Amino acid sequence: MSEVVTGVGVLSAVSVGLTVLLLVAEAIFATYGECEIDINKGERTFKVTGGGSLLRTLAGQKLFLPSGCGGRGSCGTCKCKVLDGGGPVLPTELPYLNPEERRTGIRLACQLKVKENVRIEIPADLLSVREFQAVTERITPLTHDIRGLRFRLPEGETVRFKAGQFVNLVSKPYGDVTEPTSRAYSISSAPADNRALELVIRLVPNGLVTTWVFNHLKEGETATLIGPYGEFFLRDSAREIIFIAGGSGLAPIRSIVLDMIERGITHRPATFFFGAVKLRDLYYVEEFQAIAAKHPWFRFKPALSGDETGHPWERGLITDVVARSYGTLDNHEAYLCGSPGMIGACVKVLTGKGLPENLVFYDKFS
Amino acid sequence: MKQTPELDRIQARMQPGILTMKGFLGSDPRPLAEILAEDLAAVTAAGVTHAQIADRLAAITRQGTDLMEREVKVEDRFQVTVRDDRGLLPSPFGDGRFAKGDTEVADPRTGRTFRWNDLTLHLIRDHGFYNGRGSDYRLEPGELVTVFGIAPAAPGA
Ligand SMILES: Cc1cc2nc3c(=O)[nH]c(=O)nc-3n(C[C@H](O)[C@H](O)[C@H](O)COP(=O)(O)OP(=O)(O)OC[C@H]3O[C@@H](n4cnc5c(N)ncnc54)[C@H](O)[C@@H]3O)c2cc1C
Ligand code: FES
Repeated sequence: MSEVVTGVGVLSAVSVGLTVLLLVAEAIFATYGECEIDINKGERTFKVTGGGSLLRTLAGQKLFLPSGCGGRGSCGTCKCKVLDGGGPVLPTELPYLNPEERRTGIRLACQLKVKENVRIEIPADLLSVREFQAVTERITPLTHDIRGLRFRLPEGETVRFKAGQFVNLVSKPYGDVTEPTSRAYSISSAPADNRALELVIRLVPNGLVTTWVFNHLKEGETATLIGPYGEFFLRDSAREIIFIAGGSGLAPIRSIVLDMIERGITHRPATFFFGAVKLRDLYYVEEFQAIAAKHPWFRFKPALSGDETGHPWERGLITDVVARSYGTLDNHEAYLCGSPGMIGACVKVLTGKGLPENLVFYDKFS
Repeated sequence: MKQTPELDRIQARMQPGILTMKGFLGSDPRPLAEILAEDLAAVTAAGVTHAQIADRLAAITRQGTDLMEREVKVEDRFQVTVRDDRGLLPSPFGDGRFAKGDTEVADPRTGRTFRWNDLTLHLIRDHGFYNGRGSDYRLEPGELVTVFGIAPAAPGA
């Protein structure tokens, strides 16, 4: 019996040793030569030197897949469809892929190493995603824990995005954070203001990127922004619009409303319900009041859920305010921006009033 | 419990600056296997399970969800606020992403405060992980059982 155990032990040790040797040898000696990357069946092709991750290889060609963890394999956002040449799915990818995704060739681009010609499919929108080295032009405190940031693009560059989309802001290393890290932030400026990008960022206590924004990023400093991304934008229809947001969720709604003004979309009545707990949590109020005063199609309804009195705003939870503002919702569509909890609560109220769920829009990953 | 290479990889992802600014281990120098084993022993000694603890904390969070950060008194005792942060946080065990908003709980009776979120509850329920000592998100299993009155499951329940 003990001989068998010893035998198995030796065999395991040898195979572990061999694996380690192979990995070391691969790291040192493996060159994969020139590989061709084909995107969307020939829409774009280029040759690269193999060996890097697909995510980094694409970024080297200025093609930016979404990435929430900088390629560390821990966020699952860099998914793309690999038609050919990806090799087998790696154990590090498995936790992020459901059976359907595995079956249809979805992979994590940051884990897949380019070793041969690779054919991939990505949403066409991603082909227009760009990286900007922008100057932090202005940082404005909007509330006790929310700041407005305006980034000016380099001379001669402009950005194209749909109002409601977001960009990834990349933080620089600081303290224990040794790698640049990116997080998604909705663009709060209008697409017509295409030489700059404005964001509204709320400090999350001990948040990795927001701590960098609040404690390290200074006006005049260059920052990296990658985008635009996202499916949250105004749908083309004649329906009346309900906007609901809380906290930093105001950002994309501001962009959409400014864009509606810019594009002269005046035939769709729109009401913006902005929920907060206390007066100190409200911001951009004067701006939205001025818009409402000038544009009869737009109404602005801030609401405070705390017990402060002596303010002119609606009182109660934003869901209650929405509920008492409408009867049956039969010719409306709704745009929500906030936490999953807030979105869940709003969806319940809206669908309860007859609004079909497919006419309620929000960022799924927010 | 043995510290496997897989636990080494998970512990590496728990370091400060990888997934979160301060990480998941605080000042705890011990191997992850040891941290998990000690907390399992505390939970077993209290006659409860990780799932029971996670369920109890989740029930408290539910009372504050949908309130968009308005503080609520739960069970005529705990002051609870659920933060409305956006974004998802990956689990260091590589098995999913969870909403970031923290549940902040103050217990005036004991003067203790607690903080957890969907990821914390997943780590407790599925991995028996309560953070390392000194982490802002460290929850002492024994203390949770006492403060939140988690009763041992009835035999055969
Ligand atoms: C599409 C989209 C658009 C967005 N737009 C905006 C926007 O316009 N404005 C805005 O402010 N935000 C926005 N966000 C959120 C933003 O992307 C970030 O998630 C947010 O700013 C927090 O990032 P952070 O790096 O500071 O925090 P992180 O470091 O990523 O997370 C901090 C949180 O992690 C958790 N945590 C930390 N340590 C532990 C631990 N040991 N155990 C358990 N949990 C722990 C806690 O909940 C803590 O609060 C958006 C998100 C998405 C997906
Ligand atoms: S970039 Fe995060 S998993 Fe690939």
